[in-house]
Amino acid sequence: MESANTLCPGRKCKGGVLAHLERLEAQTNISNRKSEEPTVRKKESSLRTKIRELQQQRDKLRAEVKQWRARVKEPPAKEDPSRTVISEQEVLEREWRNVEAILEAYRFTGLSGKLTSRGVCMCISTAFEGNLLDSYFVDLVIEKPLRIHHHSVPVFIPLEKIAAAHLQTDVQRFLFSLWEYLNAYSGRKYQADQLENWTADSPSH
Amino acid sequence: MDSETRELRALEAEVAALQRECRMLQNAGEKASGAWKSFQNISQSDSEEWESLKDLRSRLEHLRSEHSFLSKLTGFNIRNYSKMEDIVNTEETEKDTKKVLQKHRLSGNCNMVTFQLEFEVLETETKEKKSSIITDLSIIMEPTEYSELSEFASRAEEKRDLLMFFRSLHFFVEWCEYRENTFKHFKEKYPDTVYLLEGTCSHCMEIRSTRQPGFELVIVWKIQIDEEGMVFPKLDLLTKVPERALGLDKNRVIETAPLSFRSLLGVLGIEAALDSLIRLFSGDNN
Repeated sequence: MESANTLCPGRKCKGGVLAHLERLEAQTNISNRKSEEPTVRKKESSLRTKIRELQQQRDKLRAEVKQWRARVKEPPAKEDPSRTVISEQEVLEREWRNVEAILEAYRFTGLSGKLTSRGVCMCISTAFEGNLLDSYFVDLVIEKPLRIHHHSVPVFIPLEKIAAAHLQTDVQRFLFSLWEYLNAYSGRKYQADQLENWTADSPSH
Repeated sequence: MDSETRELRALEAEVAALQRECRMLQNAGEKASGAWKSFQNISQSDSEEWESLKDLRSRLEHLRSEHSFLSKLTGFNIRNYSKMEDIVNTEETEKDTKKVLQKHRLSGNCNMVTFQLEFEVLETETKEKKSSIITDLSIIMEPTEYSELSEFASRAEEKRDLLMFFRSLHFFVEWCEYRENTFKHFKEKYPDTVYLLEGTCSHCMEIRSTRQPGFELVIVWKIQIDEEGMVFPKLDLLTKVPERALGLDKNRVIETAPLSFRSLLGVLGIEAALDSLIRLFSGDNN
């Protein structure tokens, strides 16, 4: 009972039970208090109690507002944040599609590639005159020394020799050198296939 | 009682107002502190958009670095690319054959040479195989001072050999760089003997004798691209000597100089050959 008096000085205490309830309410937060409200209302001066709750809540909020006001350095912006998000997204998406298309277009130069977790996987495209032919890949691991992780280069292309000559000193030279070999092979293969088809179709057969 | 009810209502209103203010300040506070976390005012879907935007930005950065890497590695910097697709009517051709005609536009640069390409690719797909053929190719290159390039471009257009165009372009640019570096090197090493009339980008290097004014050698260094797209240097020597000296030249050294130069190139290579010639003409007697 004495403790109830110290908790709410200057307030009319209606009795032991109510004071006990008040103490509980003071200790729990607003959401918990709401669930206890129906039982409190059954008692006398429930209105008074409600007022007390709200006063405490108000005081707490006042303190919070004061705190936030101190933290805010500049006034909040007037723009609609949701609108700027969308237009920036459109811009970014367009730019992203653009760069992605450019990366794909590299295959027309003969050398294209994709970054991997270890390095880069280069794709070498070949052609004979206007005919686009096979592609081969070389997966490079970027370490010291630079090494080939795996590749799809045919066995008879002297990959080791080319790598030994250029891979560590000039990767660009390595790639172009390899490209020449692969393109030459691819072109000859194409011509041979064409010739085969031509002789197969010719009337003498 | 009435006064109590009134007090209650007033308090409720005040609490509600304070709660609103608190929320607003909290949002403003988060914004001010630079944290783009989900706003309590904005619905759940909007906060997902914020997340995807961050994600998009980082993915774009990754793509851009991939582009930059590829550009440095290949030497080709593609700045723009666009593609238009037309589907060719297959009912007129054989059955089970699908033909797609794609139009591409590509532009960029390889070191100091910029290119603009427009080409068409016809993709034919039958049950057995797929093929892609370049059916049209148009090339525009700058700068136009490299006369060797325009001839090469028209040849590539005729053959519709896009890949050969790029390969040759790469080697051409590489040779140009080597030529520029070599001329620069000699100019720095022998500033009184070597003259580059058009700067280091020119294809001529003059060697003027310091001891005998009137005697000059001109090295003409052209970079040629042959029919197959092979790139190779072609160096020639021109002489400029006073008439009197010509008269004194019993062994016809001057006449045979251009040919001798060719042999010298074969023996010593470009740099050493040029160096020895310059030494002849400079005050240097080593």
